[in-house]
Amino acid sequence: MKPVYVAGAAVHPFGKHPELNAAELGYRAVHSLLETTGITPDTVDTGFAGSSYGGSLLAQRVLQRVGISGQPAFTVENACASGASAIHLGWQAVASGAADAVIAFGAENLSSFGGGTLPLTTNDIEIEQGMVMPAAYAMRAQRYLHDFGATVDDLTAVSVKNRTNGALNERAHFQHEVTAQDVANSRPVADPLRLLHCCPNSDGAAAVLLCSQEVAEQLHTPRVRIRASVVRSGTFHTQYRDMTWPDITERTAKAAYAMAGLGPADLDLVELHDAFSIAELLHSEALGLAERGTAHRAVRDGDFDRHGRIAVNPSGGLMSRGHPVGATGATQICEAYWQLTGQAGSLQVPGASVALTHVTGGGIFGVDNGACSVHILTAD
Amino acid sequence: MTLPQTQPAAHQIGAHWTHQDGEHATLTITLCHACSGRWFPPRDTCSTCASSDVENITSHTRGSVYASSVVRIAPRGFQAPYVLAYVDISGVRLLAHSPSSDRALAPGTPVELTVARIADTPEGAVTSYVVTALDDQHTTTGEQ
Repeated sequence: MKPVYVAGAAVHPFGKHPELNAAELGYRAVHSLLETTGITPDTVDTGFAGSSYGGSLLAQRVLQRVGISGQPAFTVENACASGASAIHLGWQAVASGAADAVIAFGAENLSSFGGGTLPLTTNDIEIEQGMVMPAAYAMRAQRYLHDFGATVDDLTAVSVKNRTNGALNERAHFQHEVTAQDVANSRPVADPLRLLHCCPNSDGAAAVLLCSQEVAEQLHTPRVRIRASVVRSGTFHTQYRDMTWPDITERTAKAAYAMAGLGPADLDLVELHDAFSIAELLHSEALGLAERGTAHRAVRDGDFDRHGRIAVNPSGGLMSRGHPVGATGATQICEAYWQLTGQAGSLQVPGASVALTHVTGGGIFGVDNGACSVHILTAD
Repeated sequence: MTLPQTQPAAHQIGAHWTHQDGEHATLTITLCHACSGRWFPPRDTCSTCASSDVENITSHTRGSVYASSVVRIAPRGFQAPYVLAYVDISGVRLLAHSPSSDRALAPGTPVELTVARIADTPEGAVTSYVVTALDDQHTTTGEQ
């Protein structure tokens, strides 16, 4: 496999943009990517879009607006992992030698659905029973609290940490801190989770330029190397499963660590899928960032703070950035890129040279999640 | 002839897999003879090993709660609040309402399968297999 680099990143700030559909948001991110990298449309070999609700041919509808038309273009749907899946396919194209320069982006507009919980459209047996994502995570939370002696205050500590980080992120949907009292006063959503234990539904887009070493050297932009790019699907069964242990995250991470030749102890920062506060505890343990059943203590002890043992969600996570489903995995790569190139400003993790991004997607029955993606990036 | 106790349901979830015996209910689950996999809802091909050597068997009427929550912001077609629980029964885990409870059921709570209304729609009531706690042991919701 050839080495694959990220040579540019661009984000359209996340938030409520009801007037901007997914294609418009994607266009803005991709246009910005072309401006900052200087790559010309004819140099781009192929493009991948990740989106859950962005509609047919989103890749073409976005890329053709900046002169990238005629080349192969693909639109990928993998629920919350759509953007990361688009990047994974772009990575495959460069690693295999099939392409030298690829644009991969994620874009989503969720405002069109109005408020409330994200609509689940697969109509399986659990959705028929009134399952919603907050309830799925609420039950995982109840069980984690039961099994490991954690408390609702521990869940709240995750929200407070990530919202503190996000207060410094100009691309985030929410850019202000919250207190534990704010969380406790917020509206109940699915016991024990309250509104501020949940990430917001948002609109936004993020794009990256993936390329070979030759192209990277021609561009003169800062670059980081993708050491691992892995996607896995959930293991489907309807027997008993430990819902406090996201097996899909463990399997994806193990494959990524093996590919990169790195382990959890080598990481300076992690952007993981904190769609709900409990998710940070579950996934950080499955990623090997804390011992089983101890992530709540790691958060409490400051281990996951920006200046802690390992910075977890220094960008503010989904909790602050918001969660425009298909854009999330792509924006995590952008945040990691800026960290590893020393361009993260007030979000900067000092001396960051190794980053991991993690996203899981999908509420379908019989699996932890439908899809999971892990990327490991290094400064050189 | 026995008269129905409630208005006719517009829709019963899992009607084909649900067997009512007075107050109690059981469910059809699939057992794979090739790999011992167990499935609910039932299926004609094992989704673990793809074998068609499967048999439909009848579940117990009783199971145990794995986890539970009270949904307080409902999706379209449902009326919040309602209690959901993951329940372990006869080797399968399934999601069910617990309409007789107003709080999350504690992990380990023994439950019994019955059939009850879980939602109202303009077309009429939606009924389903549901669970009822066999004791009064409830968890706190974590609220102060």
